[in-house]
Amino acid sequence: MAELVIMPKQGQSVESCIITEWHKKKGDKVSVGDILFAYETDKASFEEEAKVEGVLLEVFYEEGYEVPVLENVCVIGEEGEDISALLATAGAVEKKEEVDEPAVGSSHLAEDNSGKGVESQQPVDGSETAGGKKGVSPRARNIAAKEALPLDGIKGTGPKGRVIARDVEQALENRPKLTGLAKEIAREEGLNAPVEGTGPAGTVKASDLTSINPVYAGDFEIKPLSNMRKLIAKAMHASLQNSAQLTHHLGADARNVLAIRQKVKKAMEEGYPTNITINDMVCMAVIKALKKFPQANSHFLGDSMKIFNKVHLGLAVDTDRGLMVPVVKNADDLSIQGLSNQMKEVANACRTGSIDPDLLAAEAASFTVSNLGNYGVEMFTPVINLPQSAILGVNTIIPRPKDLGGGVYGFVPYMGLSLTYDHRALDGGEATRFLKQIAIELETLEIEI
Amino acid sequence: MPKSQFIDPKEARKAGQLTFEPIPVNQYSKTIEEEKKNFSKDDFLRIYHDMSLIREFETMLNLIKTTGGYKGVEYNHPGPAHLSIGQEAAAVGMAYNLTVDDFIFGSHRSHGEILAKGLSAIQKLDDSQLELVMEDFFGGVIYNIVKKNFSGDIKALAKRFLIYGTLAEIFARETGFNKGLGGSMHAFFTPFGVYPNNAIVGGSGDIAVGAALYKKVNRKPGIVVANIGDASMATGPVWEGLMFSAMDQFKQLWEGDMKGGLPIIITIMNNQYGMGGQTAGETMGYKIAARIGAGVNPEQMHAERVDGYNPLAVIDAYKRKQKILEEKKGPVLLDVLTYRYSGHSPSDASSYRTKEEIEAWEKQDCILGYEKQLIDGGIATKAELEAIKEEIDELILEMFKLSIDDEISPRMDLEKQPELIGDMMFSNESVDRMEEREPEVLMPLEENPRVKQIARKERFAFDKDGKPFSKMKQYQLRDGLFEAIIDRFYKDPTMIAYGEENRDWGGAFAVYRGLTEALPYHRLFNSPIAEAAIVGTAIGYAMCGGRVVPEIMYCDFLGRSGDEVFNQLPKWQAMSGNVLKMHVVIRVSVGSKYGAQHSQDWTSLVAHIPGLKVVFPATPYDAKGLMNAALQGTDPVIFFESQRIYDVGEMFHEGGVPEGYYEIPLGEPDIKREGKDVTILSIGATLYRALDAAKELEEKYGMSAEVIDARSLVPFNYEPVIESVKKTGRIILTSDASARGSFLNDMARNISELAFDYLDAPPVIVGSRNWITPAFELEDSFFPQPHWIIDAIHEKIVPLQGHVVKTNFTDAEQIRRNKMGV
Repeated sequence: MAELVIMPKQGQSVESCIITEWHKKKGDKVSVGDILFAYETDKASFEEEAKVEGVLLEVFYEEGYEVPVLENVCVIGEEGEDISALLATAGAVEKKEEVDEPAVGSSHLAEDNSGKGVESQQPVDGSETAGGKKGVSPRARNIAAKEALPLDGIKGTGPKGRVIARDVEQALENRPKLTGLAKEIAREEGLNAPVEGTGPAGTVKASDLTSINPVYAGDFEIKPLSNMRKLIAKAMHASLQNSAQLTHHLGADARNVLAIRQKVKKAMEEGYPTNITINDMVCMAVIKALKKFPQANSHFLGDSMKIFNKVHLGLAVDTDRGLMVPVVKNADDLSIQGLSNQMKEVANACRTGSIDPDLLAAEAASFTVSNLGNYGVEMFTPVINLPQSAILGVNTIIPRPKDLGGGVYGFVPYMGLSLTYDHRALDGGEATRFLKQIAIELETLEIEI
Repeated sequence: MPKSQFIDPKEARKAGQLTFEPIPVNQYSKTIEEEKKNFSKDDFLRIYHDMSLIREFETMLNLIKTTGGYKGVEYNHPGPAHLSIGQEAAAVGMAYNLTVDDFIFGSHRSHGEILAKGLSAIQKLDDSQLELVMEDFFGGVIYNIVKKNFSGDIKALAKRFLIYGTLAEIFARETGFNKGLGGSMHAFFTPFGVYPNNAIVGGSGDIAVGAALYKKVNRKPGIVVANIGDASMATGPVWEGLMFSAMDQFKQLWEGDMKGGLPIIITIMNNQYGMGGQTAGETMGYKIAARIGAGVNPEQMHAERVDGYNPLAVIDAYKRKQKILEEKKGPVLLDVLTYRYSGHSPSDASSYRTKEEIEAWEKQDCILGYEKQLIDGGIATKAELEAIKEEIDELILEMFKLSIDDEISPRMDLEKQPELIGDMMFSNESVDRMEEREPEVLMPLEENPRVKQIARKERFAFDKDGKPFSKMKQYQLRDGLFEAIIDRFYKDPTMIAYGEENRDWGGAFAVYRGLTEALPYHRLFNSPIAEAAIVGTAIGYAMCGGRVVPEIMYCDFLGRSGDEVFNQLPKWQAMSGNVLKMHVVIRVSVGSKYGAQHSQDWTSLVAHIPGLKVVFPATPYDAKGLMNAALQGTDPVIFFESQRIYDVGEMFHEGGVPEGYYEIPLGEPDIKREGKDVTILSIGATLYRALDAAKELEEKYGMSAEVIDARSLVPFNYEPVIESVKKTGRIILTSDASARGSFLNDMARNISELAFDYLDAPPVIVGSRNWITPAFELEDSFFPQPHWIIDAIHEKIVPLQGHVVKTNFTDAEQIRRNKMGV
């Protein structure tokens, strides 16, 4: 008896996932535990393992396709098994709003790409390409659309440089012949034909199509945004648009933390279990400072402030898929060792894609630390993770001249701290005092090892 | 210009003087005792009844307009009500002796005349005739309404029918005499001999003459009365109507029983005001309107002023005038003096006259005065007259309530049936002849010299080798028109044609050559140079049931018949609730060579007016086929012809112009040349320049143009044009009309909307310049030329390689010209 494999639901807020990779293809044998496909939400990535044994009989979504959770993704059954009945009953209980003919559960491959997601890339759409002064006659536009011919680059010979039918016809003559299928796919997916195809007499076959613009051949590739990229883009843009953020930069004498770091390294050689990093120490200092400036440990909600009793510390983590900010809940309850361990744990989970999506929500953290010090960044303006009121950027440590007293100047290592705060939530004086407090905490930090 | 009449210079130049006969003014002087031998008591009382009924009817409307109700029943009537309170004796006196065969035409102030004529008809028709009329009218709709719960006799029922039908019409109810589409100023009821009233001052002045022409030409019993106001005597169309009605030819040239004057009485319903203008003393110079008759013909139109405040005087006058008409000595002009107490309309504050004046006339009120005569003469008692009034009051109130009851008297539901009026604009019938009888002709068709001449012609322009026959040999466009028209003359006995130079000369452009030999005077004659009367009389002629082809010699003269073409001809089919049909084909010849007032293509003007069909053929085959279709139909057609191409041969229709009868449906464009790269849509004679352009495009630029001849403007089937545009993607439209406001723009808009996705460029218009038409030698700079078409294609549609423009079709020039208004 064949079984449907659905897109699992990951976390309360997840509505759909993108299939990032198929590890099996239609017709492959699968065993229990085999990875069928990898997928990601807007915040994390996962792998779906086979729970039954058999043959992958049908695949409904290709890689890159966004699948609503609980939707059928594929079918595993016995070789040659008739799955039409299964598909029919599955359809009856499922909510399938956008499925066209033919029936439920049928393949969502190429023909389903007409959704609005692709529209913006359609090079055939003259409104994109003809923009500016040069117009395109409705007839020219229609012929081009029918023939899947991109309008960009076509020189208009009509009145006032308008692209008219004959220009499109001319361009068509210069283009290799396309097979019917190639034409249709090119039209549907907005793909381009190469100068010469691999078919007879240079005919372009569907497989020859590329999404590369022939004018800038090979120069770029248009890729749809991953869910996560879309989300980051949206969040960052919203943050800069919707808040009054500015950044103060201040240096902290790093001799103390460097000394502690040396001690840790040494202790580790003697079996000390925790690799307490400078970042751990910065976070500890931040937690301590936040306890003294609760106003900064907050969310700005427009007409009110949510001031947190506990510190839920967000940590910006760079991963292959993009920036992630997991949270360490109740971080003020933790010792430096506990803090260090938990931070490593969540960062790791982010990198492997196994993080609980709920821990990635901006609302989950009360304050965020973003550390670019490792990369040698000397100063930056981190972007607040709204609705949080502030974020601390941690820079690299550089030596700076310092009055050592008695007219003697020496070079002292300084760590740059960049605090971006929402001026709606905090005023400059308070923010400065808070930032200075972090520096003081760093300079006076004591750790039992 | 009949040769039978010799203009002798000796006679013409002789000294002498004109003398006039005295024109009687208020000469009636009979006493009531003397009249007793002419009228029974019933007659006397009926006159009283009819006047009182009109008075109450108008009073009711006045109260509705001024107080928002009548006898406690509220009603709002936003439409017009031009009341005739005070004029009742004039209306009843007029109608008293008329039968249903006698037709009356009226003005905007004609409720009284409708009711008077209706009541007179009810009196004269017997019960079975009356019942038949009521049952037949709109399938008995009105009859059923007034019959319900009524037990009186047929005449009483007919009275309810008359009042209800008129009132429902005034209140725009679908149950009105004209489905509520005419209203107060246009109400009428032909079965009682009541023909259209007219909201244009003097509108009936020429239309009624056409009705009289119909009666005369078709030997119909009865006379025609045109009730027009004293102020309308200043309007051109009324004067033209008078001139037309008094043409010498009726008495001098028409033959046999046709000899004699028109059976028409032009009645000046002289209430002494034209809106606020006082005619005698202020806005006119005649002092007494009857004087006008002296200026019209030697008989002075038998003109007379009658005291319109005494019904017996009016009756007496009509009796005498009807006798004159019976003797074929018409036309007659009657100046019926009267007075309206109510203003021009209820909104009129009467600021132009004194209270004393109104009161002085009220003291001599026609009903009060007559009442006194009846009582003093011992004909009726006060109580008897009171009883009549009470009965009237009751009847009017009941009919008022019925007519405003939305259940019983609904208005047209244009939401549920949005095309009701649209479906009434044209009657679209196909009728061989309007009457079954032998048409009067002077010779068998085949003996006609023109017919014989045409028989020797080549019906296709080219020989079998493609070489054109000589012009003289070719069957020409004018021959196509002639064949269609003479065919109809031999088919339809009611068919007549007239205009300037139609007889003897055969029309200025020789279309009618040969018709004079074929037809007696009364079927083909020369009219005065009076376009308003030419078209106006044709409208009256058609209204009564005849088919008629009036001719406007130059399109530029259409303006002279503006009201007739714009306000009358297109309106009456729908405005009558489809009671009337308007089978009038106006031939309009578009000139050239003769400058600014003889060279204009005004197709756009008439195409703009809803209710007219408009055609403009450009080939002999189309001219004959379209003329046949126009003459077979029942709608008004403005049939444009071009003087540039009367002599053109048939170059398109294979096998040439058929000898037999065929029709080309109005509204179908025709592809005259097939092509694939650009469509040229032309109207009228411009076709040939479009074809020249197509030839040049092919030879010089390798562009194949499809040329479509619109043939018709209204109606118009866009489908073949859209099909062509789908193929070519480009269209240019051209005609000789000045480009601004040209019908081409309307077509271009429709094409843009209907074929937008197929267009490679916006549709482009090439019309004449927005100038005066200059002299012939300069015309090429005014009318579209082949190279204009090519220049426009090059500039606006698709640049042509190596083309050098001669004319300026740039955007900048387009803006500049519009800024300048040229």
